[in-house]
Amino acid sequence: MVLTLYGNSYSPCAKRVAQVLVEKQVPFKVVIIDFKKGEQKAASFVEKQPFGQVPLLDDDGYFIYESRAIARYIAEKYPDQGTPLIPKDLRARGLFEQALSIELNDFDAYISPPVHEVIFKPFLGLTPDREAFDQMVIQLEAKLDVYEKILSKQKYLAGDELTLADLFHLPYGVLLGPAGSNALDTPKRPNLSRWFKELVARPSWQAVKDEFKSMD
Amino acid sequence: MVLTLYGNPKASCTQRVATVMHEKQVPFKLVTIDLSKGEHKAPDYLEKQPFGQIPVLDDDGYLIYETRAISRYIAEKYADQGTPLIPKDLKAKGHFEQAASVEQANYDAYAGKAVVEKVFKPMFGQTPDDAVAERLLTSLEASLDVYEKILSKQKYVAGNEITLVDIFHLPLLSLLPLTGRDVYSTRPNVEKWAKGLIARPSFQSVKDGVKSTA
Repeated sequence: MVLTLYGNSYSPCAKRVAQVLVEKQVPFKVVIIDFKKGEQKAASFVEKQPFGQVPLLDDDGYFIYESRAIARYIAEKYPDQGTPLIPKDLRARGLFEQALSIELNDFDAYISPPVHEVIFKPFLGLTPDREAFDQMVIQLEAKLDVYEKILSKQKYLAGDELTLADLFHLPYGVLLGPAGSNALDTPKRPNLSRWFKELVARPSWQAVKDEFKSMD
Repeated sequence: MVLTLYGNPKASCTQRVATVMHEKQVPFKLVTIDLSKGEHKAPDYLEKQPFGQIPVLDDDGYLIYETRAISRYIAEKYADQGTPLIPKDLKAKGHFEQAASVEQANYDAYAGKAVVEKVFKPMFGQTPDDAVAERLLTSLEASLDVYEKILSKQKYVAGNEITLVDIFHLPLLSLLPLTGRDVYSTRPNVEKWAKGLIARPSFQSVKDGVKSTA
């Protein structure tokens, strides 16, 4: 049975999973959960995803939610097809876990607030606060300066091989430019810019970035 | 060579890693980094941890930072001793990862910051932002309502066996009552689960301050 992924085109987290499915060459079909109709709060959905969030994966009756968990599950279930995304060696895997934690605590925590402020607030009928945005970007840039140091010594965040940790940066990362900051694409941080540009160019991201759709 | 943990005896993140060390029966030496003296921003420390944060683990020259990464590394390296903390089966592991993601996004994101505002800031003579703290605690309580549902059907957050993810919720579980919000009395399943974790000898060994065990 083909995997079913529940989400929508304006959910960065849904695209995170879609990209990994493409990278691992795993076909999938999508079911749209429309937030405007409150479909994420429907009893039948909440039964499977009790936090009422997307995405959610149905693997032939096995349900799993949280985009990074779904992505790991896919990478672990299909280790021998598509791009290898999780190292096998114990120490390399430790540095992979370190990179995943950095993505969450030192990137996502700092890029989500400014992206929400400018890109998502209007969807909720609220007015973005540009000054707050600028302050949040300053804090993000302090973290990106450390990324620059790390990426000046190695090709990817966990070492010299691409892993899931790198890919996880894309869905919010690509929204920073449209939100009004070039912090990920500036000569001030050439290694960071090189790393991010290369990730954006990957065919798997190009395939999923615009529309959340079935790929089977 | 004995593992060296760079951290601070009373810091939550250091206590979290130390709890895992105790669960896995792994001896370690603690090297205290004094945050009040800015030791975490010293150049030789930044060589180990470029974000200038604690803790860092030194395993015979192999350096790894980020609490949950260190914990996972220890649980994998010493899989066959102490408490098993990471499931082996693919589907059980998927639900483990799901719970781990929920712990960070829907629990720590609120509980961690609320505890900083209400408990740590006053401790260091700073003024808490009560409005922010109240909003965070309200969001936390909404998540704990979901935890209540989940824990009514299974013993631990990833299933019926304890895993690393339950441990990751400590030490904040023990600090939440200090925020002034009663998160437990209306959530009996959460309360039972939290009390059980707090009572574990591994956490009891570190809650008043982490000490070297080697």
